[in-house]
Amino acid sequence: MVLLRFTLSEEGVNALRDALACLNKFSDEVSLEAKRDKLVFTALNSSKSAYAAFSFATNRFFSKYQYEGVPQNREKFFCKLYNRALLSLFRARTGDPIHDPEKGGSAIERCDVAIQDEAGKKSRFIVKIACRNGMTTKYRLPFEVSPPVHAKFDRDEALHSWSISSRTLRQLMDHFGPGIEYLDIHSDDDSTVSFTCFTEKVASGNAEVLKKPLHTSIAVEKDEFDSFDVTEDKLHIVVSVKDFRAITQHAAFLGSDVSAQYSIPSRPMQIRYDGDGVKCEFLLMTVGERGAPGQQRAKKARTGARPTARAQQLEAAASRATSNAPTPAPRPTPAARREPMPSLRPTAPRQSQRPPPATLDHDSLFVPQDDDYQWEPVRMNEDEDEEEGDARLEWDASDRPNPSAIKMSSVMANQAAQRSGTGPDNSVEQDQALSYLEPTQRLSQARQFGLFND
Amino acid sequence: MRFKTNLKNIRTFSKLVAALSSLEKIAWLRLDDEHVRFTVIPDTGSQVWALLPMEFIFDNVQLQSAEAQNTINLELPLVPLQRALRSALNATSASLRLTKKDGIPILSMTIQTSTVAQGNQGGGLGSYSRFSRGDNGPGHVAGGFGDDDDGIFNIEPLETHLHREREKIITQDIPVRVLHPDNVEMIMQPKVREPDVHIQLPPLLQLKAISDRFTKLAAASTRASNSAVATAAASNPKLELSANMHGSLRLSLTTDTLDVTSQWDSLENPELDPSQLHCPLEEHPSTIFREAGPDKWASVRVDGKDWSKVLSVGRLEGRVIACFADEHALILECFFYLVFYWTGSLLSTRLIKPAVLRIVIQRMSAITGPLLVVSLQAENM
Repeated sequence: MVLLRFTLSEEGVNALRDALACLNKFSDEVSLEAKRDKLVFTALNSSKSAYAAFSFATNRFFSKYQYEGVPQNREKFFCKLYNRALLSLFRARTGDPIHDPEKGGSAIERCDVAIQDEAGKKSRFIVKIACRNGMTTKYRLPFEVSPPVHAKFDRDEALHSWSISSRTLRQLMDHFGPGIEYLDIHSDDDSTVSFTCFTEKVASGNAEVLKKPLHTSIAVEKDEFDSFDVTEDKLHIVVSVKDFRAITQHAAFLGSDVSAQYSIPSRPMQIRYDGDGVKCEFLLMTVGERGAPGQQRAKKARTGARPTARAQQLEAAASRATSNAPTPAPRPTPAARREPMPSLRPTAPRQSQRPPPATLDHDSLFVPQDDDYQWEPVRMNEDEDEEEGDARLEWDASDRPNPSAIKMSSVMANQAAQRSGTGPDNSVEQDQALSYLEPTQRLSQARQFGLFND
Repeated sequence: MRFKTNLKNIRTFSKLVAALSSLEKIAWLRLDDEHVRFTVIPDTGSQVWALLPMEFIFDNVQLQSAEAQNTINLELPLVPLQRALRSALNATSASLRLTKKDGIPILSMTIQTSTVAQGNQGGGLGSYSRFSRGDNGPGHVAGGFGDDDDGIFNIEPLETHLHREREKIITQDIPVRVLHPDNVEMIMQPKVREPDVHIQLPPLLQLKAISDRFTKLAAASTRASNSAVATAAASNPKLELSANMHGSLRLSLTTDTLDVTSQWDSLENPELDPSQLHCPLEEHPSTIFREAGPDKWASVRVDGKDWSKVLSVGRLEGRVIACFADEHALILECFFYLVFYWTGSLLSTRLIKPAVLRIVIQRMSAITGPLLVVSLQAENM
């Protein structure tokens, strides 16, 4: 039984390919979610620090779109595909100069997609590609019926926002060299916004110093932004360069304005832009630290990790029992189940905190180690004297564990702790009933993170 | 220790760095009151010694060092430098400064640049460019000739510039190591005897294309002969370069199964300046080679891969003189030109300033394989 059938024009294929290529930079797997009015492709990276979603409006983007649905779930259909396989179908014969004497001769002219899924029959994602030269190829891809994991973003919480032309953003990113990991966006004064890159890899030994990547900092006039509304002074928001680059590259294809919305470090940043018939949305985990320089010891201990984007399963996997496609056993998200990677680092303690102080100390982006000063980031010229007032440890009155800082690359390492039920994500994932409730942090969990280790 | 300068001729500087980095990723930079010297010494392959007059790439230099002769010796990675210079290519101004960040010495490049308006922008800006395109239509252009009062032509770029060109300040920090003079003064430029033949090379792009083709042929032919010994040789194919004092240059490749030669004729053998010679011109080896006739060749063998890297100096678009010391070394001297504009109150004077590039290819024994020494030098002429 064909659940879903749609047809893409040449431009549609190109747009879909760009979107899939972008998703591929986040994860190997892409989740598809089809409804009557929209088709959504999403990906969540393995450390759950980045989430990407492309939503295609069925009436505008597709030349034909026919959604049947399944008896069990009329509303929507979802499945998971191996992105590289899907991407290669569209990539294969575009712009092939050898087999392409006339320009575009073997370019894709049209693409028909049908999804078959029925009990007792083969479940397949069938792609039929018609080329300009008259050749038609048909592909059948296997898929897995598993619900997509969506990341949640609280727009009310995100008070800060800016928007800028994608082309300008792309130009900015072009100045950054290879080998860098993080991008720090902050505004120092009323007129400029700074984009600074840094890495936490540390040069060991004298000769290694020369292998450090180029450190780039760009000061942009605020006027360059279409809007810039960040009320908090000297707010540093740090995201992964790799993810940010993937976004800016795709956004530059569409040429539309990019808008970002975020609150504080350690809460996700949302980046959005629209194309013709497509809405693109990304959630990136941000890092940050608030602390006082006077209390070096305390500061070192105050590094926390927390997976991004509060992923949660929106559908019960069992609801698709009649499907013949492989359905994964009900489980928490795979990442949560996985054995934690051995960590060389001490377990990072978590610290709940009141709404954050205005400044961010970069120190604790880095994991506590004995030679901690080595891990200090390149930008150290923040005025540390003013942070004395923020040194107090405070109990968070809200139930939301809001770690003072996270370190993206240690997310995996800290999953052992989360598996035992600390993180809000796990409570959500493991217990459907709690899906929409704010998780509660127990004292025992806090203790586990060393807050009370005397 | 202080070093601060504005950058100029960034494109040439960038090409020079690109040429150097094709041979080695880390360079020794020596600065003094008059010269900038880049030296790269790879473990295997060619060395480059590039001596540039300070004003060649720097402007308004502040240099202060406690060391003898006011020198600063730095070790710096070329790839980040090249990357930083790429950001500076379209800059309105760029400067370089030796400083410290977190205790680590860096060369900090400050670049002032602006976003150039072009193409179609979304939103409100898009309407500007759409508007502009309409004005640039053929009808308006044609009409514009006769009507000076047509204000449309003036409005269009003005609006675009006001809205799109915003200044940005980019800081690129290149990690460096400050070298102690004792460690580097020991390193000397290789000494080569007076050359037997000097000849102007054909365009380097052409020479490189043919050389690279030969190098690939050598690899292919030894693969075909299918012997274990040959495989080792295939990884380092040797090309033979020969020249005479009668305008001919020969590039040849000889393998078990293949013998191929390219020859250029009617090339120029430049005259030597007797005042620069250590011996009378009549006794100079090149005179002896010239008198011996066109069949007297001076030859060297070079590693094909290394030669290919060396030829990347061609991107400097210089005039290259090859000086052959028969069975011993090859020196290439590349003259690259910069155009300076001097603007006086009433008249403009244009000076053309050449720089010299020297390339030395040393003799290679059959066992160790050839050593190609590139000595890149820029001097005033």
